[in-house]
Amino acid sequence: MRHEIIHEIAQSVTAAGGAENIIRALVEATARGMDAKGCSLFTLSDDGRRLVPRICCGIDEGGLRESLILGDDALRQVIGGAPLFIWDAARDPRVREKEGLRRQGVSSIVFLPFRDGERVRGILRLYFSEAMSFDREDLDFLESIAELVGGILRSAESRDRLERDAEQARRDLQRIRDERRHFLSFLSMVTHDLKSPLVAVQGYLKLLLRKGTGCLDERMVRGIHRSIERMDGMMELISDLLELSRLESGQVIKELKSVSWEEVLGAAVEMAHELASPKSIAVATEIRRPLPDVFASDIRLQQLILNLVSNSVRHTPRGGRITIRAGRQGDAVAVSVEDSGSGVAPEHLPHVFEEFYKGDPESAEGTGLGLSICKRIVDMHHGHIRLESPVPETGVGTRVSFAIPVGVTCLLEDRWMLEGDSATRFGVASGEEGK
Amino acid sequence: MGRKILLADDDPDVVDVVSIILEDEGYEVVMARDGAEALEKIRSEGPDLVILDLLMPRVDGFAVFNTLREPAYERWSQLPVVVLTSVREEVSKRRYELESGKSMGYAAYLEKPVEPEELLETISSLLPKD
Repeated sequence: MRHEIIHEIAQSVTAAGGAENIIRALVEATARGMDAKGCSLFTLSDDGRRLVPRICCGIDEGGLRESLILGDDALRQVIGGAPLFIWDAARDPRVREKEGLRRQGVSSIVFLPFRDGERVRGILRLYFSEAMSFDREDLDFLESIAELVGGILRSAESRDRLERDAEQARRDLQRIRDERRHFLSFLSMVTHDLKSPLVAVQGYLKLLLRKGTGCLDERMVRGIHRSIERMDGMMELISDLLELSRLESGQVIKELKSVSWEEVLGAAVEMAHELASPKSIAVATEIRRPLPDVFASDIRLQQLILNLVSNSVRHTPRGGRITIRAGRQGDAVAVSVEDSGSGVAPEHLPHVFEEFYKGDPESAEGTGLGLSICKRIVDMHHGHIRLESPVPETGVGTRVSFAIPVGVTCLLEDRWMLEGDSATRFGVASGEEGK
Repeated sequence: MGRKILLADDDPDVVDVVSIILEDEGYEVVMARDGAEALEKIRSEGPDLVILDLLMPRVDGFAVFNTLREPAYERWSQLPVVVLTSVREEVSKRRYELESGKSMGYAAYLEKPVEPEELLETISSLLPKD
């Protein structure tokens, strides 16, 4: 019972006053209460080999600083758990610093171990100017004090440990945040610098085509067109890579807001028409209204639908057909993009969402990242996505369907990113700014 | 008249290509390598239109937009600005809106690489030939 009460007291006083203050007060009060000349407190080092001075009052312990336990039988006895009474410090062979003690008028010393549970954590020393004799009551008092000190130190240590852990976690989080920001701004800068020369070279080539290629034969002109196309491909790849890293790093979480599905679809359908018209591909829509608002990134949802549409346009012959469907499906909004194109060969189906996977590796078109980006965007919104080919109902083409839950919240583990400073809000812009 | 165009871009090749395209069409082209020079030339050269890159060293295109809102530049408040940049439109728009609390107020937004025809059409729609 007494142990528990002491433990409880220790906890609350540590929380209230800070361990160091409390122990100092205890040491001083003990010295007073015992009519001692001075009192000091040492804690045992973790390896159990040294005594570390913590508090000292009423006496100058100059020569009695940190002391090694090994080789000192008297100290070993105390550390072993037994109190030690030195009644006549001037004559006792166990006392080493006789001169110092004599000068300060110390004639007897009490060494009292204090415990944390079973383990001895340190010692209390009481110095008396007269030869002392202790009665039972004195010993009880000292033991209680020792026990209280042990309890306070223990709860202070666990508090310190918690604080250290929390501090460490804060630092780690900050470091990850900084690294992420640096990486993104580095990436944006690299992206910009990779694209700039391509933009310049393309500019000259387009100028060349525009100003007349009279002196070039047809093959050379075709070569210039191909050069422009290859550069387009490379720029697309660079953008996709940046996009993927940004999705990967959770950057996009900051873009989340309440978004109207109707608006997202409206804009996406409009752009789908633009993408499809050069190949005379018809875009049909079947949208079952009303559609609810979602907590999402409108840019990403549009990008998602457009990625699917542009895939379809790429793989659908001229005069083909693309159908965009959308409607509420339980707790989600389901959207699908279906085409009458060439479809995906069965052996490629399991891999379509993998990065850099292209059904036809020889194809110069596309980066092999489009569907991986789509999948990431869907994952980010806690949805799911799948691809069917051929479309079961028609026997041809491809259909990609995804569903985004209504009322989804952002990824919890990334929520702290919302607090990021405004400089990181948009990877591209902030990164390139310093250029 | 309406034929003088200020072209602000830090990439000398982009400046070269765009100025050839414009000069071929009879426009007079004045160049600036960063936002500070662009602002200076807006005052000293009095262009009829500005083609502005957003990402430039020292003073960037966003800052140019901000400065053009200041009372000291009131005379140029109607000056059409065509953004020509490699940053996607919605990203830069959102960034500008967040940082300045205003809309960017450009006359047109073109992304690099731009087709010469698209550039010329945009400019001629903003600067009708007389």
